[in-house]
Amino acid sequence: MTLRPNWKSTCKAILYLLPALLILITFNIYPIIKSFLMSFYTDYDYFNNVVHARGLTNFITLFNDQNFIKALSNTLIFVVGVVPISIILSLLIALLLNSKIKFLGFFRTIYFLPFVTSVVAVAIVWGWIFHSDYGLLNYFLGWFGVDPIKWITDPNFAMLALIILSIWKGLGFNIIIFLAGLQNINQQYYLAAKVDGASAWNRFKTVTLPLLSPTMFFISIISIINAFKVFDEIFALFNGRPGPANSTLTVVYYVYQKFYEEWQFGLASAAAFVLFIFVFIFTLIQLIIGKKFVHYQ
Amino acid sequence: MKKGFIWSVLSILFLLLLVACGDSEDTENSEAASATASDTETEESTEPIEIDFWHAMSGPHEEAIMEYVEQFNSEHENITVTPVNQGSYDDLEQKIMAAAKAQTLPTIAQAVTNVVPEYTANNFITSLNDFIEDPEIGLSDEEFNDYVDVFKESSSWDGTYYSLPFSKSTRILFYNKELLEENGLEVPETWEDIRTISEVLTGDGVVGMGFENSYESEFQAILKQLGGTYIDEATSEATFASDEGIEAMTLIKEMIDDGIARTAGEDDYMSNPFSRGDVAMYIGSSAGIPHVAEAADGNIEWSTTTMPTLDGEAATTFAGNDIVMFSQSDDAEQKAAWEFMKYLTSPEVTADWSMKSGYLPVRYSAQELDNYQAFVAENPAYEAGTAQFDAGFFIARIEGGDAVRNIVLEELEYILLDDKTVEEGLTDAQERANQELN
Repeated sequence: MTLRPNWKSTCKAILYLLPALLILITFNIYPIIKSFLMSFYTDYDYFNNVVHARGLTNFITLFNDQNFIKALSNTLIFVVGVVPISIILSLLIALLLNSKIKFLGFFRTIYFLPFVTSVVAVAIVWGWIFHSDYGLLNYFLGWFGVDPIKWITDPNFAMLALIILSIWKGLGFNIIIFLAGLQNINQQYYLAAKVDGASAWNRFKTVTLPLLSPTMFFISIISIINAFKVFDEIFALFNGRPGPANSTLTVVYYVYQKFYEEWQFGLASAAAFVLFIFVFIFTLIQLIIGKKFVHYQ
Repeated sequence: MKKGFIWSVLSILFLLLLVACGDSEDTENSEAASATASDTETEESTEPIEIDFWHAMSGPHEEAIMEYVEQFNSEHENITVTPVNQGSYDDLEQKIMAAAKAQTLPTIAQAVTNVVPEYTANNFITSLNDFIEDPEIGLSDEEFNDYVDVFKESSSWDGTYYSLPFSKSTRILFYNKELLEENGLEVPETWEDIRTISEVLTGDGVVGMGFENSYESEFQAILKQLGGTYIDEATSEATFASDEGIEAMTLIKEMIDDGIARTAGEDDYMSNPFSRGDVAMYIGSSAGIPHVAEAADGNIEWSTTTMPTLDGEAATTFAGNDIVMFSQSDDAEQKAAWEFMKYLTSPEVTADWSMKSGYLPVRYSAQELDNYQAFVAENPAYEAGTAQFDAGFFIARIEGGDAVRNIVLEELEYILLDDKTVEEGLTDAQERANQELN
């Protein structure tokens, strides 16, 4: 049965959506609009809600601030560094977990653990792993004759350390989603392909990948948005600083600094809005590309 | 069916409206109620008063605070203080900011001295002068002069007191006793001593001298010892890129470049590498004493001494947290809060607090109490902090101070990484700071 859209069905739909909408409007949409407006307040009494002057000064200041430019480029490096590797790795692990291996439940739990562990605890453990004198990672690299690397204190390696931690932390979520997607694929396609004599690689390329594309699409959008918003990991791993010489200063960290540490509410809002535009554009691009490649069963 | 549906939507909207109206009426009523209540309270002050005290103390520190609160509540029938742990100092600051916006501030809270100018600029907090000078509930001259001078100064702005000192600390030198004794070295007193001792002790996996990651305090202290000024509080102008500033930073940087000093770096705080024996000496907060004591137990023998001097000049920064009173609360609450603030800074409590937390006693007479003297005799590491009250100063408390701190930390990092020379880094930092401050 399909309902034709008319006044009655539209109202009914709105009624059903109302609970979710109320929450979204209060906690997401209203703040977005508010911070958009706030980004134009150049002289503003935040606590008494009095605006003395409006203008574009915040945006001009922002793009003249070397640190903001650095934050933007760091964020892009982070997104490019984390998202593709994270997706490929989690797909591989999901494929392994989807095959008949022993201790399946055990492995699934292990991979999902990082995702549900608090970022602060994770960062403390990785802080030990990355330690230049006592860390496991340098100890391990030492077997291959690699000199100790100052992961946390060398600006050339800090971003890499952050990316490694973030990939590891995000794997579990992606794996679970991929697993769900894989299990949704009808086994008959594989049987048919086998009858036709398709190799494992061909089966993966022509059956698994196309049928997994909606899941892939979902994960890539979520991952990119999440990567743009990175903050907790930096705060915890670098002990409340944006990495050595600002090497892991990202846009959200910049917003945090301006808002909470420096009380520059207009500037922080402007930066947040620029980030919003970036995420929006990236998501649009993905939607357009997605239309071409995503196959729905 | 259609009609029924529209009715249901309308009734929901109506309900929402009711809820919204109900809320505002409620608050008006309660405001009126509290206003009348406060009137009667100020006259009789027998009505029970409840005040919230927000703090950022956890673990044993929080237990100590709970003790004081219980003691205070049992002594004051009509006052109930509720301490609320708000997490870290950063969390506390963020929650105060949010509560100020939402008009739900507590009556009193712990606050970093450096953020007080932002609070006064936005009229969050109330001046304490009326309370201090009140003939009945105020402080006598004798009591007032008993507060340590450097803390009194850091709590006042042009003669207006906006806070009382509470959890205060200073920078002191920690040293590894065994290492010094084995090499026949005296406890260092000057920066030259630090250098020569570091040169002797460095080697074999040990670095002579250590600096915290926030070593801008030491930079400020050396700058002051050389006669320079970090930021002029009166004019809100940064002046640290002077010849003295360059000399001060060069002193620190040369030691690090020569490999005889290091920063805490990935260890976050120097107490860890020092307690492991990786570092022979370090300058850090006196509030770190309990941390070092715990980590060093069974590892190394250590003690503390006052901050090294330069050309006979002593100077060291005092920092930490004060207690502030918010202006959103009514008279009766403020009066009750004042009683609690007086209690927290009374000689007995501040002495006990110092013994339990490692913060400094904020009253001179607290040091003379028998139990405190016995404690210091047993734990000589606590002597260094109070010994340098007279050499104490504090960094300019100005609006935008935290923004300047971020800039300075960033530029100092460029200097240590050799991305910039000392002069370039300091000049850039000063220019950026002054842009921020004006």
